[in-house]
Amino acid sequence: MTRHDFIARLRQGLVGLPLQAQSDIVADYETHFTEGAAAGRSEADVAAALGDPDRLARELRAEVGVKRWEAQRNPEAAAAAVFAVLGLGAIDLLVLLPILITLVSVICAFGIVALVGFIGGAVVFAAGPFADAPGGVGAALLTGLALMAGGLSLASVVTLVSIGLVNALVWYGRLHYRLLKPAIDPQPTGEFAAP
Amino acid sequence: MPETIDIQLKKGALDLCVLALLSRGDSYAYEIASRLAEAIGMGEGTIYPLMRRMQSDGLVETYLVESSAGPSRKYYRLTNTGQTSFAAQKDAWRSFAGAVQSILGEP
Repeated sequence: MTRHDFIARLRQGLVGLPLQAQSDIVADYETHFTEGAAAGRSEADVAAALGDPDRLARELRAEVGVKRWEAQRNPEAAAAAVFAVLGLGAIDLLVLLPILITLVSVICAFGIVALVGFIGGAVVFAAGPFADAPGGVGAALLTGLALMAGGLSLASVVTLVSIGLVNALVWYGRLHYRLLKPAIDPQPTGEFAAP
Repeated sequence: MPETIDIQLKKGALDLCVLALLSRGDSYAYEIASRLAEAIGMGEGTIYPLMRRMQSDGLVETYLVESSAGPSRKYYRLTNTGQTSFAAQKDAWRSFAGAVQSILGEP
């Protein structure tokens, strides 16, 4: 594989990352080729020693995704980190997927209950003074407030559990990084041939 | 499965080796990669994901050095956190390696 092919495949694998991260990463590998050439090595030799650009791109994506999740805790960053880590192929999807789907469903269910509780509480609170509530207006107002508070606290518990779940997944994925695999188990040269 | 054990051992030691190299002096990725490729047979390309992770974990930081010939080089140096982590990992490695050796029954 030539320097050009290697960089092209790496770029392809990095699509979707922030532009700054992409250009930093590509610059690292360009420098590596330049240094290799200065040391008298051929492009094919350097490319073979670097390993599979697709796999490297996947590992770098995972790293950037995890870093983003650590910097900004929002659903978008969480999804990006989870998909990047899953993309490593390090996690046994067949085993993990049913567990994951169950957990996510349970979390969603609790989230919906929290939302319904809050809205229901708001309705009771707003309608209490006008409807002929049993126990009088005061009881209706208090019930409404209690329902809303319950909804809010359930929602915060759901958020905490979701953050914990994403963190656990990222930790598990990192634990199973296969960074060294291409080095010890070199890819057959056929795999390096351009498609 | 001897291959798997081999991979696990090297994977565990890789961070420690990079920290050790940097503790002896700042270095740039090509040099780190070629030294480790020679010494423990790791893929040169794997050093870049690793260096990015160590940087995002705050163990190393980078600075650029202009070169008279060729492009400027990005040097890595250990941060204080990196030095602390290196000391801790080195101790852990020594006591673990010592324990394994004594179980293997070698001097």
